[in-house]
Amino acid sequence: MDAMSLPDADAVIARARLGDPVALEALYRAYSTPVYNLSRRICRTTEDAEDILQETFFEVCRSIRNYRGDGSIWGWIRSVASSKALMRLRRNKYRDTDELNDDIAPARSASHALRMDLESAMERLSDTARAVVWLHDVEGYTHEEIAGQMGKTVSFSKSQLARAHTRLRSWLGEEALA
Amino acid sequence: MTGHLSMDQLIALRDGDRSEPGMDGALQHFAACSHCQSELERLHQRTARLRALPSLAPSTNEFPAVHARITVARRSQSRAATSIGLAIAATAVFAVITRDIVHPKRLDAEQLLRTEISQSQQLEEKLHAWNPDQRVINGRTAIVVIQLENKIADLDAQIAAMAKVQQPDARIENELKLWRQRVGLMNALVDVHLTKAGNVGL
Repeated sequence: MDAMSLPDADAVIARARLGDPVALEALYRAYSTPVYNLSRRICRTTEDAEDILQETFFEVCRSIRNYRGDGSIWGWIRSVASSKALMRLRRNKYRDTDELNDDIAPARSASHALRMDLESAMERLSDTARAVVWLHDVEGYTHEEIAGQMGKTVSFSKSQLARAHTRLRSWLGEEALA
Repeated sequence: MTGHLSMDQLIALRDGDRSEPGMDGALQHFAACSHCQSELERLHQRTARLRALPSLAPSTNEFPAVHARITVARRSQSRAATSIGLAIAATAVFAVITRDIVHPKRLDAEQLLRTEISQSQQLEEKLHAWNPDQRVINGRTAIVVIQLENKIADLDAQIAAMAKVQQPDARIENELKLWRQRVGLMNALVDVHLTKAGNVGL
């Protein structure tokens, strides 16, 4: 991601640390899509994702002096973005779809052999479960890192992931007969 | 072990996590169970499909808004300090005026100037309390904010230059005019922030 998206990354980062707006915009252009994608996959609405995108880069521009360069710039920006996204989830307190999942989905799947596509199934997960699945299985965060960001335990992260996969398997019609 | 592997155990197998309880027995079962082998394969495929979902791109360029917020954050600190400095400089002219034999018209102008300075400071405080650098704004608002900030910075430079003018009469009239403009711009800036900006509550 880094080298492909941001040629001459070291020079750009050095100028960004001095507050050069051209360099800051170069960082934005290189990483706005992955930040938006992460935000949109975790949150439900484009409005939330756009707000998180702005919040993330505001924080990046303001704090880039603190970036020590000991990890990739994308890793650092991504940690800011995931933190903002999880903060947004906590703030929004969307209705948890677990209730919907438990009560309605099994009946539907039994009577109509419902098969969702993967994106719809992800949308149907609770906010927390969806965030754990995305951060762990796609972004590659460890359970320890997710637990730290969420202020929860490692076993909470693991159980959210397992429950989410059980549901995804069911909603996607992937359950095998034992 | 009895029965097939749980989802926790399948994920632990996928991730190479041996810390999950009962993993030794799970591995033995897995080696001999085609059902669990199929489940793990489906888990791998589901994960691969998740990773292959299309990348979603933003429809708007948020950078102008980011840039505006950075500018606001930088300037709001320096502007508040400048405003206090300018107010102090303005009061110096009052001291000069009161030393002279004071004309009633000059006293009126002095009173008006004090009022404008006070209003300007109240607006600064209102804006500070709103905490604009912690709020999401849209691109159009960002452009207006930058324009207003630039105009206020220009005015502050003019007010600062006015402090070097020695003639009290000329100075107080011009200073009053500039502070009035400043109050107008500060009003506009507060209005833009309070009515257009979206709060992200951070």
